Amino acid sequence: MKKSLDRYLLQPGVYYLQGSQACIEGAIVAGCRVYGGYPITPATEVMEHAALRLPQVGGRFIQMEDEIASACVLIGATWAGAKAMTATSSPGFSLMQEAISYAIMAETPLVIVNVQRPGPGQGYITASQEDVMQARWGHHGEGSIIALAPASVQEMFELTIEAFNLSEQWRTPVLVMAEEPVAHMRERLVIPPKDDIKIVNRKKPQDVGITPENYLPRSHDIMAPMANWGEGYNVNHVGLVHLEDGNVTKYSPRMHYECISRLQQKIEGNVNKIARVETEFTEGCEHLVVCYGAVSRSSIEAVKEAREERGIEIGFLKLVTLWPFPEAKLREIVGEVDTIFVPEMNLGMMKHPITESLRDRCRRVVSIPSLGILHSPEYILSKIYEELK
Amino acid sequence: MLKYLREEGPSGARLPLILCPGCGSGQVLNFTLQAVDRIILEDHIRKENFVFISGVGCSARLTSHYLNFDSGWTIHGRTLAIATGALLANPALKIIVFTGDGDTGAIGGNHFIHACRRNIDLTILCINNGLYGMTGGQVGPTTSAGTITTTTPYGNTEENFDLCKIAETAGATYVARWTTAHPYQTIRSIMKGIRKKGASFIEILSQCPVHNKTSPVAMLKNLKKNTIRAHKAGESTEGKILIGEFCDLHKPEWNESYQKIIDQFSKEKSK
Repeated sequence: MKKSLDRYLLQPGVYYLQGSQACIEGAIVAGCRVYGGYPITPATEVMEHAALRLPQVGGRFIQMEDEIASACVLIGATWAGAKAMTATSSPGFSLMQEAISYAIMAETPLVIVNVQRPGPGQGYITASQEDVMQARWGHHGEGSIIALAPASVQEMFELTIEAFNLSEQWRTPVLVMAEEPVAHMRERLVIPPKDDIKIVNRKKPQDVGITPENYLPRSHDIMAPMANWGEGYNVNHVGLVHLEDGNVTKYSPRMHYECISRLQQKIEGNVNKIARVETEFTEGCEHLVVCYGAVSRSSIEAVKEAREERGIEIGFLKLVTLWPFPEAKLREIVGEVDTIFVPEMNLGMMKHPITESLRDRCRRVVSIPSLGILHSPEYILSKIYEELK
Repeated sequence: MLKYLREEGPSGARLPLILCPGCGSGQVLNFTLQAVDRIILEDHIRKENFVFISGVGCSARLTSHYLNFDSGWTIHGRTLAIATGALLANPALKIIVFTGDGDTGAIGGNHFIHACRRNIDLTILCINNGLYGMTGGQVGPTTSAGTITTTTPYGNTEENFDLCKIAETAGATYVARWTTAHPYQTIRSIMKGIRKKGASFIEILSQCPVHNKTSPVAMLKNLKKNTIRAHKAGESTEGKILIGEFCDLHKPEWNESYQKIIDQFSKEKSK
């Protein structure tokens, strides 16, 4: 970026912003300079802010003909050397699955923000966490994915940066699974000094002394350096099962197994480096609330209230990373508990991997569903009291 | 031409091409590389700036696997969206997109229309063999009415697309159609397409002798016999496919227009 455009970066300080705006400001700080998108409620504000902001910092914004094209723009932009993103909402997210699957196979970093809305069909345009399973399983094939769940305007900023960092580090698509409440709310955003923000850029073959002649685009090391188009490396991106030089003609079940298991292990084998959780009152707790996204805000209030009002020993665990699922982290934190409550803005989706991970550590897992509206702390509390009476 | 081909890799040989004997796609690859070679020599454009993008199908096999260029063998129909993204990231790239009639006319039809409308600086080649070859000879959007294929066992009941008319109407700034029986004309058109600052669309009618169950030579002869130059005075075009250049004009290119917006911000400071 040209020095003269630096002044268009949001300076460190305290702001009052919408979640959608904070997301784009985070993306710009992370180095995103291409945005391709298609309007959809309730994600349109992200796109509108991108249209306003990207040319100011020397980036390019394009409104595409559909969500399929929007996701594909990111693939091309990334290969040509940019960091790129889009934002959409659930029906649009369905259309992007093809590109996500391809990007996993072609080890292409990109960031997709999904401001979820309820489904199926057009569903509605209100709050939802109904795409958390689509995020993991919506794309065809065995590819693993990274998905983060922001719970505040501050996290819309921070987790968008983290999404870019993870995508560059692991050469893979990263999803920011936002919800209508966090995208639309306005609250305090603190932008820290530049030096306090960690930015990760893809490792390029030039950086590690690999010449074009010796470059293997799909090295079977855990992370192959990524050469950009236009730099003389004759990079050959493919979506077929391939060998480490990108060759697809020597097909064998063995090379198939190696290619796909490496892609999967790259993510699942590094879950402890990738995934984060946040906890409170978990030390020796008798019960536990496990939650993510905006619901964690109501949940922590309910947990505090239950502890203060009735002296219930109940802990709080927030999944910052939904996928890869941080099973080992959960098992490290959770000892023996009686009831695990899982409030979600769906009929019980993340309840399943939570149950799978902690089946032997608890007596039961209780789902607290809500459709179309964010749980109030009182609602979560009433369900806890009802179950524990 | 061999310097432009990726004959070998660390995992062994890449050539020969996967294409069937007598297929026209190899000819199109030859025409394209001839055009690129001349552009590199005449216009002093770095080879590194050329990028080849393809989708899925017979035409797609030309690009990434066998070419010693930056390339992407991408998603069926999505080539133009991916190419658009690459140009947004680096407008200096010279992107040549290989598509087929399925890529362009069917699954990627919407992307095709909009890439032309945006007039973004792409050279879009469509190798039109009139059917889906890679999957075994199904009907496509360019298959003539009445044709029997594996998915029209009683004959095709639909009319076919004129891809050049679509491109021209949608806003492409250079549009031409040739056949594999017109090598020199095709090479010249591809050169014009690469030099054109904007969306260029060049359709190349090509033979698929395998699925048409006929000889390549007979098909090439038919391509000559069944086509007629557009704008050729005094001859009836009845029942013939028009070939030649359909438009060659200048309109602002997408990145040129967008750069003006970026410049507003980068120049403000120097006031």
